[in-house]
Amino acid sequence: MEFIKNIMLTAFTAVIVENTVFCRALGTSTLLIAARKRKNLVGFGICVTYMTALISVLTYVADRIFNFSEAGYIYIPLVYTAILGIVYVVTLLCMWKFVPRLFIAMRKYIHVSAFNCAVLGSMFLISKYCTTLGDYFIHGIGIGLGFVLAVYITAIIYDRLYSEKVPYAFRGYPLLMIYIGILSMAFWGLSSHTLNY
Amino acid sequence: MGKITGRMNNENEVSFKNIMFNGLLKKNPILVSGMVIAPVVMICNSLANALTLAAAFSVITFFTLLVSYFVPKNIVYTIRIIMYTFIGALVYVPSAIMLNYFIPEGIEAMGVFFPLLIANGMIVFRSETIFFQESKGHMLFDIIFCILGYDAAVILYGFIREILGSGTIFGKIIGMPMVFSGFENPFGGFILLGIMAALLRVILLTIKRMGQK
Repeated sequence: MEFIKNIMLTAFTAVIVENTVFCRALGTSTLLIAARKRKNLVGFGICVTYMTALISVLTYVADRIFNFSEAGYIYIPLVYTAILGIVYVVTLLCMWKFVPRLFIAMRKYIHVSAFNCAVLGSMFLISKYCTTLGDYFIHGIGIGLGFVLAVYITAIIYDRLYSEKVPYAFRGYPLLMIYIGILSMAFWGLSSHTLNY
Repeated sequence: MGKITGRMNNENEVSFKNIMFNGLLKKNPILVSGMVIAPVVMICNSLANALTLAAAFSVITFFTLLVSYFVPKNIVYTIRIIMYTFIGALVYVPSAIMLNYFIPEGIEAMGVFFPLLIANGMIVFRSETIFFQESKGHMLFDIIFCILGYDAAVILYGFIREILGSGTIFGKIIGMPMVFSGFENPFGGFILLGIMAALLRVILLTIKRMGQK
C-alpha cells in the first residue's frame, strides 16, 4: 500500500506540482510548435512520453556507470546527447523495419519530440533528484505526461489566441505567453514553494 | 563600371541593414520567434543573471553553429540533427571551463539550464531551416545579429524584471515605491515576456507606418 501511495505521489508531483512547462518552463519553445495542430497531439504525446520514459532508465544506467564527479559534470551533456541520439536512431530504425505505417505517421513528430529541452532537461532533473531506478522511471513518465498536459491545455485555446478579434499587438505569441503565465501561476500555487534547478 | 560597383555596394548595404534589422528586431529570436524561452523565464530575474545567460548563449550557439556548418549535407537529416547537438555538447566543454573561470557564481545560478543550451532552438531548428540555406557571408552576419538580438532582449528583460521584482539594479536598492515579487517567479517571467513581445510589435508597427509615410 505504501509503495502504491509513493508511486501516485511521485507521479502527481512530476505531472502537476512540478509540471515541466508551467513550473520549470522546459520545452516551452517546443510547445509553441506542438500546440499548432490538435490532430497531432496524440502522436506527439506518445512520442514524448516514450522518449522520457525510456531515456530515464538509460540515464539511471549511465549515472551508475560513469558516476560523474564534481569535476566531471562538464562531460554529462556529451553522454546524455549520445544516449538521446542512440534512442532516437534505434527507435526510427525499429519503426521503419517492423511497423512502416507507424513510421510514416510518426516521423513528423519524433524529431521535435526527441530533441527538445523537455526531454534533455528531464535527464538532468531526474539525475539530480532521483536515486532509485523506480524513481527515475516514474519521474521520466511524469515529466513526459506533464509536458503533454501542458501542450493539450495550450492547444485547446490556440486558435482563439490567434483570432482576429484579439488586438494586433497581443495576437498570437504575446498572448500565448501571458496565457501560459496565468496557468503557470495556478500550477505554481499548488507547490507554494521555490523549486531548485 | 563605377555605377555597377556603386549599385552592388548599395545592395550589400541594404541587405546588411535587413539582416541587422531582422536579427535585432523584426525576427528577434526571443520576442518574436519564441526560441530558448526556458532559461529566460527561469533564470533571468536579475540583470546579473541575464548577462550570464547572454554570455553563455552567445558562446555556445555561435561556435556550435559555426562548426555544424561543416557537417556534410549528404548525411541523413536525422543523423545531422544528432550531430549538431553532439557538437553543442563538445563546444559546451571548453565553454563551461572558460565561463566557470570568469563568472563561477553566475554559471552556478543557471543550474541545469546552462547545459541545456546545447539543444536550443537556434541550433536544432533554425540552423537547418534558415542559417544553412544562406550563403556563407549572409549566414555569418545572420547568426551574429540573431545572437545579438537575443542578448539585447535578454539583458533588457533581466533589467526590467529585476526592477519590477525586487526594486534593485545589480542588487542595489533604487528606491522603487512598490515591488511586484511575483515577477521573480516563472509565471511573472512568462507574463513579462508576453508584454515585452507585444510592445515590440507596437514598435515594429510604428516603424512600418513611419516608413510608409
